[in-house]
Amino acid sequence: MIEHGPLLERLLAGEFICPVSDESGYRHLSNAETREEIDIYLRPLNRRLASNEDGSVYFLAWRQLNDSARDQLSRQLGETLNSLLPLLEWLQLVQEALGRDTLAAPGDVLKPAEFSAKCEDNQSLRERLERLATDSFFGSQSDQLDAQAKQVFKRLKEHGYLLQPHSERQVFVVTGKIDYLVDLVRFIRDEENLPIDAEGEEGKQEVLL
Amino acid sequence: MSKSMNSSVNELESRLLKTGSERLALLGKHSDVLMQAYTRDEVPLESLSDSALRKLLAARILWRPDEHSGVKLAPKVRELIAEMLADETRRHVNADVAETLELIRALVHSYREARSRGEHWRLEQQLMRLRQEVDDLNGRFADAIDSLWQRLNSDFGFVSQLNDKIRENDRAQKQIARLLDGLALINFDELIELVGSDGSLRKLLISQLQQQLSHHYTGLREVQRRLIELMARFRKQQARSRLISGMAAFMREHPGFMPSNYARRSEVPALVNQAAPLNAAAAPALDRNLECQVLADLLHQLPQPRHTTQTVEAAAPAQAQESSLAAARQQALKQDVEHFYLSVIDQPQAEPVSALEYLHESPLEWPDEIWLFQVIAEYQGLPRNDQRAFRLKQQETQASAFNHLRLIHDVELQLAV
Repeated sequence: MIEHGPLLERLLAGEFICPVSDESGYRHLSNAETREEIDIYLRPLNRRLASNEDGSVYFLAWRQLNDSARDQLSRQLGETLNSLLPLLEWLQLVQEALGRDTLAAPGDVLKPAEFSAKCEDNQSLRERLERLATDSFFGSQSDQLDAQAKQVFKRLKEHGYLLQPHSERQVFVVTGKIDYLVDLVRFIRDEENLPIDAEGEEGKQEVLL
Repeated sequence: MSKSMNSSVNELESRLLKTGSERLALLGKHSDVLMQAYTRDEVPLESLSDSALRKLLAARILWRPDEHSGVKLAPKVRELIAEMLADETRRHVNADVAETLELIRALVHSYREARSRGEHWRLEQQLMRLRQEVDDLNGRFADAIDSLWQRLNSDFGFVSQLNDKIRENDRAQKQIARLLDGLALINFDELIELVGSDGSLRKLLISQLQQQLSHHYTGLREVQRRLIELMARFRKQQARSRLISGMAAFMREHPGFMPSNYARRSEVPALVNQAAPLNAAAAPALDRNLECQVLADLLHQLPQPRHTTQTVEAAAPAQAQESSLAAARQQALKQDVEHFYLSVIDQPQAEPVSALEYLHESPLEWPDEIWLFQVIAEYQGLPRNDQRAFRLKQQETQASAFNHLRLIHDVELQLAV
């Protein structure tokens, strides 16, 4: 168990472990035996190891859902839902600004400078970035585009969606927590029977635009 | 007879060689125009002379579909260029097995006829053509598989849009299906019957071909598997992208949207069950002797706190303004004494250290009395808790028998363990 100390600490601190955020930790967790050992260790802390459906991220879940755990989960869910739209809009903005036709995925490298440069040239993207950055979730106070982009990336790093390999370099890597977010969105769509058609969505979007 | 035949054959061959290389040279001579034609719809005629155009048409490098339309690149030349450039958008995958099989059958029959008539020269010729056909067939499969791998390994990088990638992947999968169909056309039972007992034919058309084709078959199956995997990934990416834009659009349209509270359900969905963060905190502990040394080392590695000349803001007895030089000296003394304290902490086995001995051994030049005074003052100035960590022993003697004045000669500082 000693060799998993740092990994346990990260998990206990609420981090999501994926191949980007902790490659060796993730490799250890891919082993069913290790997962079992960790689960046994976590039992007195009322926690257990959990993962998303694909097993691309690991995190800790409550073992027993008592009242205080449910309270905590409700609060957390509320916070996640409050930040959901800004996060989704950011994902869309990155996709459009960088001219990609896929969402940012774990392992993708993003640079705030490149992002703000692309937004700078395009009035509509610029306005969207500004609106997004000043949203309470990102909370930028600046009216400078560069500073706004930096603040957005900083907040995403704080929330574990991005990783900054070198603290002095403005280069970020998308983590597996994005997968978790997408899974959550899919879950909400299915649970609430939202009229979001995954197949025919594109045509509708084109009409809207 | 055979001599004259040989000479006419040689003549034919040399004419063939001559025309062939002349026509091949045309490709090089007009390469710019031909490449322009490759990238455009038609050949730009303005840069070609009439005689050059006639030659290119005669060599079937260019062709004119009808009187009114422009001159175009011949399909074979277009294919050749695409093949040379590994231009995956235009590279054709076409193994044309059925026709090759027909040709092989015809050649084998002609070969056997020649053998029964004893025409050695024709026999050789037919065998060579058979070998070429088999090589071509092999080459076409190898080329097709190479083209498929190229596209696969570049993630269909020659098109940028995901939808195009999906379409290209689909096209590649259909090509594989056709290539596999082509392979299935080759019936070795039939070939065995066809070649009969002829050794060289058997080697060429059975053992060699079978080995090569099974190699191609494995290759094709592998590419097919990988293409299907990649397609699944493309579709997943597409679905993700649509999901996110759909949900964002929905939430913008319904600002008050709030899903039900999944945390209150009797069965909490796995995805929302995310435990609260727990801080695995630890503080330095001094209850184990062995670790005290480690902690002391760590303490030593801490950067020196920078003292400002005046730290105490509290009311103090009125004091004459110290000159800045005196204040600096006072500060230096204080720091030297602090170093003395740190060295006491570093003592192995917590042995007592004499303040004067330390002073004399060090390059410091403080007067003994001032030094001792500061060591004692430092001790007095420590917070109560820190004070307990040290033991200060004063070596003192009574000044005279008549009063209680005591003189301090030295102090010993020791870590209290």
